[in-house]
Amino acid sequence: MIRTFVVSLTIPDNEAYTALETLGRLGIDSSRVVRADVWIFEGELDAGLAATIGSIESIHNPNKHRLAERQADRPEPGEVWIATRDEAPATLVAGRALPGVRAILRRTAWRLLDDQGRDVAPAVLDRAVETFLCNPAFQVAITQ
Amino acid sequence: MAAGPRVAVVVFPGTNSEDETLRAVRAVGLQGELVHWSQPEALARFDAFVLPGGFAYEDRIRAGAVAAHDAVMDPVIEAAQAGKFVLGICNGAQILAEAGLVPGTGPLRLPTAAFAPNASGRFQSVHVHVKLSVTLDRVPILGGIEDGAVIPAWASHGDGRLAAPADELARIERDGHLAFIYCDRHGNPVSAPNGAALDCAGLVNRDGNVLAIMPHPERDGWTFQHLDDSRDVARGDTAATLAPSGGIRFFEHFAQAVRERFSA
Repeated sequence: MIRTFVVSLTIPDNEAYTALETLGRLGIDSSRVVRADVWIFEGELDAGLAATIGSIESIHNPNKHRLAERQADRPEPGEVWIATRDEAPATLVAGRALPGVRAILRRTAWRLLDDQGRDVAPAVLDRAVETFLCNPAFQVAITQ
Repeated sequence: MAAGPRVAVVVFPGTNSEDETLRAVRAVGLQGELVHWSQPEALARFDAFVLPGGFAYEDRIRAGAVAAHDAVMDPVIEAAQAGKFVLGICNGAQILAEAGLVPGTGPLRLPTAAFAPNASGRFQSVHVHVKLSVTLDRVPILGGIEDGAVIPAWASHGDGRLAAPADELARIERDGHLAFIYCDRHGNPVSAPNGAALDCAGLVNRDGNVLAIMPHPERDGWTFQHLDDSRDVARGDTAATLAPSGGIRFFEHFAQAVRERFSA
């Protein structure tokens, strides 16, 4: 079984803002950058996994994070996930094993929005990935 | 201040090793100055550049990625292309890789290699030695350095693992970009503590004027910083304790190169 969770900030995201600024310097037009951490869990997963994750502060701090489960372990349209190419799946979170979890994979999700709040054209996102968001020497970009 | 080669120690938001780097630069007789990221126009008057360690822009997106695209890197890149010496230490090395200046086998700012997260997945701070692993003609940035020189340093990073596609790693090795490897104090090769490909501790570009080194020689540049007996021997002798030694040799070779180029 695979379950995918997305953790995003509810407070201003400095990293996303820095990405927006840098992309602007590269001539990649976007009005807003949205970033989230993606956690993919594999194994014989406990029904209480979401609650468990929600209680681990290094993943989800309720004072500043929103935790949501995704139905698929793939990016949504308009989104790109950046992964480490030779990532060795982790088995522990914050030093502790989770019931039934055999492997944990991490991704960073990025989405670029225009001034109407719509996803930018795929070609613009591709260019952002190729010039900045992904270093192909050790990372891979995953789209739908 | 006496006339002589001027070296800019470039400070980004999040840099944290500028003072000890500046101290090392000045200890070997160079005119070092700190230049902040907001002063790219100030870099025109410098003869060489050092990008020190730290966490530029908090390592947002990737270590070195944002800084590599900062406006202050424009004159650094131009200077590198003009043959001036550019040294990057730790985060500075990550920035040079993200800027495409090392190994320098691809387009600018489209990196072909990276100092990626350590294989351990953790920040590591460990005393190391690194060994020059290229022929002397490949590193004019280290004037007068001896073949197989061993430099003591502190590896202190979370992202120091050289990573690149297999063909690029082969190119790095074949074309003399693998400037330093990890070794023991006697120069015998050891495995990189961070899991780096090729046990790489440092990369040099094609012309040998841009060098990226992950461990910090400036943090083992004075006797009181050494881990060997010399520190104990010097104990009680203030002058000896504060004497430059060890990793400062790395900066002496850098200074020799800068002086020779400046005088030419």
